[in-house]
Amino acid sequence: MAVSDGPKKTEHIKPIEKFEFFQDERVRSVFYQLLTAAIVGWAVWYLISTTAHNLEVRGMSSGFGFLNVEAGFDTDFKLVEYVPGIGTYGDIFIIGVLNTLYISALAIVASTVLGFAIGVLRLSSNWLVSKVALAYVEIFRNTPLLIQIIFWYTGIFSLLPKIRQSYDLSGGTEFVLLNNRGLYMAWPVPGDLLWMTGVAFIVAVIAVVIFRRWNRKRQDATGQVFPTFMPSAALIIFLPGIVFAITGSPLGWDLPKLEGFNFVGGATVPPAFLALLVALSIYHAAHLAESVRAGILSVNRGQRDAALAIGLRQNRVFSLVVIPQAMPAIVPPMISLWMNVVKNSSLAIAIGYPDLVAVFMQTSLNQAGRAIEIVGMTMAFYMFVSLTISGLLNIYNKRVQLVER
Amino acid sequence: MKLQTLLASVAAVAAVSIAGATVASAQSTLDIVKKRGHLRCQVGQPSPGYYNLDANGNWYGLDVANCQAVAAAIFGDKTKLEIQSVSSQMRFTALANGESDMLSRTATWTMSRDTQLGLDFLQPNFYDGQGFTVRKDSGITSALQMKGAKVCVLTGTTTELNLADFSRVNNLNISAVTFEDFNVRDETYLNGGCDSTTGDKSSMAGNLAAFPVPSDHIILPETISKEPLAPAVRHGDSQWRDIVTWVVFAMINAEELGVTSANVDDMRANSDNVNIRRMLGVEGALHEGLGLNKDWAYNVIKQVGNYGENYEAYMGSGKLGIGIPRAGSANALWTDGGLMYSPPMR
Amino acid sequence: MAIVKAEKTPARAAPISESSLIGWMRMHLFSSTFNSILTVISLYIIYITVFGVWKWGVTDAVWVAGNRRECFNISINGACWAGVITWLDNIFYGRYPREDLWRVNLGGLLLFIWMAPLWLPRVKAKVFIGLTTVFLYPFLAGYLFAGGEKGIFMQVMITAAIVCLLGNTTHSIIGLFTGRSLPEFLIRLLGKNAASEKSQRNILLGILVLSFAVVYIWQMGWSVEVVPWTKWGGLFLTLVISGVGIASALPGGIILALGRRSKLPVVRVLSTAFIELFRSVPLITVLFMATTMFPLFMPEGFVLNKLVQVIIAVCLFNACYMAETVRAGLQAIPKGQFEGAHTIGLGYVGTMSLVVMPQALKHMIPNIVGSFIGLLKDTTLVSIIGLFDILGMLRSISRDTPWLGLHKEPLIFGAALFFLICFGMSKYSRHLEVKLSTGNKH
Repeated sequence: MAVSDGPKKTEHIKPIEKFEFFQDERVRSVFYQLLTAAIVGWAVWYLISTTAHNLEVRGMSSGFGFLNVEAGFDTDFKLVEYVPGIGTYGDIFIIGVLNTLYISALAIVASTVLGFAIGVLRLSSNWLVSKVALAYVEIFRNTPLLIQIIFWYTGIFSLLPKIRQSYDLSGGTEFVLLNNRGLYMAWPVPGDLLWMTGVAFIVAVIAVVIFRRWNRKRQDATGQVFPTFMPSAALIIFLPGIVFAITGSPLGWDLPKLEGFNFVGGATVPPAFLALLVALSIYHAAHLAESVRAGILSVNRGQRDAALAIGLRQNRVFSLVVIPQAMPAIVPPMISLWMNVVKNSSLAIAIGYPDLVAVFMQTSLNQAGRAIEIVGMTMAFYMFVSLTISGLLNIYNKRVQLVER
Repeated sequence: MKLQTLLASVAAVAAVSIAGATVASAQSTLDIVKKRGHLRCQVGQPSPGYYNLDANGNWYGLDVANCQAVAAAIFGDKTKLEIQSVSSQMRFTALANGESDMLSRTATWTMSRDTQLGLDFLQPNFYDGQGFTVRKDSGITSALQMKGAKVCVLTGTTTELNLADFSRVNNLNISAVTFEDFNVRDETYLNGGCDSTTGDKSSMAGNLAAFPVPSDHIILPETISKEPLAPAVRHGDSQWRDIVTWVVFAMINAEELGVTSANVDDMRANSDNVNIRRMLGVEGALHEGLGLNKDWAYNVIKQVGNYGENYEAYMGSGKLGIGIPRAGSANALWTDGGLMYSPPMR
Repeated sequence: MAIVKAEKTPARAAPISESSLIGWMRMHLFSSTFNSILTVISLYIIYITVFGVWKWGVTDAVWVAGNRRECFNISINGACWAGVITWLDNIFYGRYPREDLWRVNLGGLLLFIWMAPLWLPRVKAKVFIGLTTVFLYPFLAGYLFAGGEKGIFMQVMITAAIVCLLGNTTHSIIGLFTGRSLPEFLIRLLGKNAASEKSQRNILLGILVLSFAVVYIWQMGWSVEVVPWTKWGGLFLTLVISGVGIASALPGGIILALGRRSKLPVVRVLSTAFIELFRSVPLITVLFMATTMFPLFMPEGFVLNKLVQVIIAVCLFNACYMAETVRAGLQAIPKGQFEGAHTIGLGYVGTMSLVVMPQALKHMIPNIVGSFIGLLKDTTLVSIIGLFDILGMLRSISRDTPWLGLHKEPLIFGAALFFLICFGMSKYSRHLEVKLSTGNKH
């Protein structure tokens, strides 16, 4: 109650006149900071000087010049053109980065979808289903990822059929074939007028967006709900489809064909890639499932009851009331999980998928020496990726906060 | 110019220079080993026949026997030995920086390695070569019939490069599937994931013997590469180089002379063959040149055995052997038409 | 007129649709078409996995055989557990000399004895016991595992550890039966509970010094053979690395977390940078850094062995993760606690060590257990750089000539072992979480 006379009060209390140098907070803060800076500075200086000395004594050269030197080895999975003996260590770095990003991106998509599915199944009213989901989560969360990767690598292909009995995942059309030699896919060969189909697709998407906006406005104004899903889907499917047909189906497929011993044509992925993708997706999906479950449970039961009480159907309750409120609790762990996917993809080294760590930090480092530069570049890449992802997380958190308050 | 050479042989730079700098300045390797009281001998990750762990945690294998022989020659005790298992990526660095005293592992002796990595390869203790395994029912009898075949191969080895060369030279268009682990390579092959596996013939013979039905598979006659597997030491220490070389030779020589671990005591006491007497240190002073004790070779043979005994035990039909026949191969004694030949010990 | 019913109406039995097995099934398994389909699919999945695994791993499996060929001869489609069983010593202890295995076992047993009092509700001074586990036990265990000559420092630390262990144990036994602490008990035993506080303290100090001296003299005559680190392996090595990792990560993590929350910009920026650096890179890159770059950092002639390199890497890595756990724990402490501590005149150190940290640590225990599980699983990565940890051993079985090619069974065994350990611990941590959160309700 006497808050208002605060300023006056300070006049009453006489500040201690004696200026004790080390008791002064500012002096102490500067002192501690200088001390820390000095210790860290000394440590860094010491490391640099001993390293420089060691490099000199051992006659090891340093610098990034090696990136322009030809690398003599090949990798069996690459997304860019590379010829061993001509391509440089710089190219190897790029191959590694792309391979890491590629497998991570696929694993992120797969584990997110699978994780949400398992998380929802965990809460299923079906006793058996929820127990199966629980077993899945516990088994895959509590065994080391490295063992899982090796296991899938050694185990998955013995479960698959031999080449002449390939599983046809595309229902008899031979577009996607799976056998114990890997996954074979038909590869699209674009024709001349394919761009028009693309344009049509973009037009359709824009039209759908405008249509949904208009519909939302109308609902706000009149309260009438116009079905949006079917017209949108029809628009997106039929408009490009018609254009595609009119322009004369300008798309060919390079189908995998069994010739001699092997399939030729199409695109194929090596076993290590498949094993890593399966292992990463399954492992992280188990973790995500728990976050999803916790997120959904964090939504107050009353919300659901109230939504049911105002006559919403079960699935609309879920999509309009529960999920939007659960998302703020699900997204942060999910994004840090994505970061883990990127980091854990480095375990590829155990099964020979040429990711960044395997081709750059292991093979290149052995061939070219230059430990400091190579370790530095590799770590910088991972830091860049995780800073980007946590940047995303921050943006999301800000938006959620704005909506809530 | 000099800079370019340096850049071109980047691999060498690291390894060689460490060797030159840290070790040349120090004492001789023999002194270091003696002072330490045990030998540090580098092998690789477990590999059938060459170096393995048994269920009691002991190392055994043909290359391990080499390590034990050197330890026995120096200390008269084969157990004064630390086996270091180093991944193949770190192997030459670990030798160069003095972590290991010698390399006794399946490193192929090639010119570039011998001349650029700052190490010396010594007398090979195993001559290997790359070959192919196929299923019998595939009807393939020669590697040249494998047009367009899919071949399982281990990654990061010379095997992979040899396969590519073989395919290119003979226009076979073979596609390689690479693996990090031979178990997975074989598993994939057994399940039909590949038409053939390729690797060193010795190890393939061992692996084949462990297949569920070994008689369903054959190893093709072609040998597409030369793989002399030899111990290696750092460049520049001739005494140490001599020791390791002559320990290997002593084991070969002993076999030629018919000295085994069982009869070596008898031979030393009673043999009047002057070659045996010289080797076992009864006569002459061969040991002086090596800086070892008089009975160095006796200790090697007594404790580790001669080359033939070790081959039988680990590569041949012994209890721990992987069953590679020796007769007629390059690994037979020169008197039997092989390449195992020791210069005279006199 | 009113009819009063004197006795209670007995509860009606639940309708048959609720209580019978069929009713239960209808409710929980077949409540709708969609649910029924799900149930059938689940049953199919269970059938495929459970029966497949059961047939391969149990009914068709071979348990006793001399080598893999014998396994094949007995059953060609079943698991060959005989190889794993023969290798059990390697899997658990690595290449540790077989006649010295008792040292590893004893080390484990001592840890259990040391930490058991933490779970006994009547025992006091749990913080002290916890701290000594972190700071004294490693010396005793370290010597037990490694052996060899003892320096004067090691002798003192070992003595301190043994005295402490004896003290802890008697203290807990006494606590269990009487609810008293060891000092109280000793004073009562000597009948000096009437004496002044000072003389009581002197008596206790005397007892302490005396026992220290006795133990010191005893341990001088006690020594065990050297076992070089290269012989450590298997689960033992995995536990050593992750144990050291977690124990040293806690102090490191607390320092880093406080640094990150510090008001001093230099400290804050440095801590944040350090934490973020290690948190954003994979452990395997840190391990590679340790094995390739540490040798360059060291002054000439100074060689760290690979195990030490790995342990340093794991500690650095884990300290940064622990820092974030600690920070989360600190954030959960209401601001009033800080202000209250300041009001009663506590400085920064006092506030943190007496008020904030004890509360925060309590919140953090489940998360620390979680980190330990994570670390234990991550430690398998050291097999990639060539240490024979449990995974390294499991993968070596397939190279041993008698068991050539036997690689699936060991991996499955390893996975099952990890599952038992990690699942047990995570269940326990969840139990702790519940227990702690109920204790925390206002």
